[in-house]
Amino acid sequence: MSFDMALILDSIPKMLMGIGLTLQLLFLSAALGLALAIILLLMRISGRWYLAAPTMAYIYIFRGTPILVQIFIIYYGLPQLEFVRDSIFWPILREPFGCAILALTLNTAAYVSEILRGGVLGVDRGLKEAGAALGLRAPHRFIYITTPIAIRLALPAYSNDVISLMKSTALASTITLLDMTGIARTIVAETYAPYEIFISLMAIYLILTWMIQRSFGWVEKRMSRHVREEV
Amino acid sequence: MDALDGWWDDYFWGSVVVAEVFVVALILTILFGLIGAAAKLSGNRAAKAIASGYTVVFRGTPEILVLLLIYFGSAITLTAIAQIFDPEIKFVDLPPFWAGSFAIALIVGSYATETFRGAFLGVAPGQVEAARALGLSKLQTFVHVRIPAMWRLALPPFGNHMLSLIKDTALIAIIGLEETLFVAAQAIGTTNKPFTMYIVVGAIYLGFSTIITLAVMALEKYANRHLEIAR
Repeated sequence: MSFDMALILDSIPKMLMGIGLTLQLLFLSAALGLALAIILLLMRISGRWYLAAPTMAYIYIFRGTPILVQIFIIYYGLPQLEFVRDSIFWPILREPFGCAILALTLNTAAYVSEILRGGVLGVDRGLKEAGAALGLRAPHRFIYITTPIAIRLALPAYSNDVISLMKSTALASTITLLDMTGIARTIVAETYAPYEIFISLMAIYLILTWMIQRSFGWVEKRMSRHVREEV
Repeated sequence: MDALDGWWDDYFWGSVVVAEVFVVALILTILFGLIGAAAKLSGNRAAKAIASGYTVVFRGTPEILVLLLIYFGSAITLTAIAQIFDPEIKFVDLPPFWAGSFAIALIVGSYATETFRGAFLGVAPGQVEAARALGLSKLQTFVHVRIPAMWRLALPPFGNHMLSLIKDTALIAIIGLEETLFVAAQAIGTTNKPFTMYIVVGAIYLGFSTIITLAVMALEKYANRHLEIAR
């Protein structure tokens, strides 16, 4: 048993062929998930029980079950239902890619909406009261006062969620998609060299994690430049 | 729902396996977390570097990759060792139960390392100095002063780690552990009702998450009972 360097050098380019799919899964579901999370947040803080209650149930269900089970319900489960097969969404839900995007989006939205809510609740009441005293109406206070501060407060937690979303994209390999992990599993099945292949792939994912952290670090720094002391 | 007849007992035993993995992995997680935190807080540079490497790698790579690496990696190593003694042997592996519990504990342990480290740092230095002044040994200080003070601080984030742990058990079905997802796959083979079968799995996990959430709430109340206002 030795570490086969030639195999590693041979496999890395093959696995990188899947990075496009990994990044597509990441960016598409991050964007769609953020949009859905904002809708969920607005429903949750609307103060109307018939909007808040379904949102709370949604968040409870999607945070309380494993993402793998959600992926399987959507990919293997939905085709059992006739109305799904007859619906206009069938062309998307028939494909593993569409199912993966849907599962990752629904999952991440539940987590992100809670993160955003934490940000909104963290905004100092005095600022909102000052806005009211200046004659701003509630929607304006939310857009011009609450939102910019809430984003700053939520950003560190949000960056962690993007990283866990990136890690979850690897589960797309369980529904036949050939993302980086899917390709790696194929190579291991052929060569039976788990150490070489999986460790090099872990290194690739670590680089992605590091890049996400650095980008968010840069954005955080920029967004709080008004509070940083001049050095 | 008739499709479920005859599968309830299989789901029950699958849930028992989930609970068993959870308990084993929880003990290992606490162990890894405490070792990691101790290493990070120690003055030893080598220990610090190893612990940092541990948290960076296991928090930054997909869970499924760690699991596959440990399961297939241990299998190839064990097979190689076994063949030294008996060349006839074709394949030896760690049972998925143990490989899986170890892998998810290693992952969640890396998060627990950071939680425990922060909690130990949160213990007021005066308490430790007081223990020293009373003549308690280092070990006594650790057991009677540091641990009781830190676990209150660690409990809320550690509750989230326990939720990650229970959800990660689902991944172990990928390497063949006979838990609920595995049961569902078998049931689908004969009944052809994937939606029904996977929804049951989701419901089981939701039940586990609910129990853990309630247990953590009760523990937090217990941990902070000295702060309650007397009535």
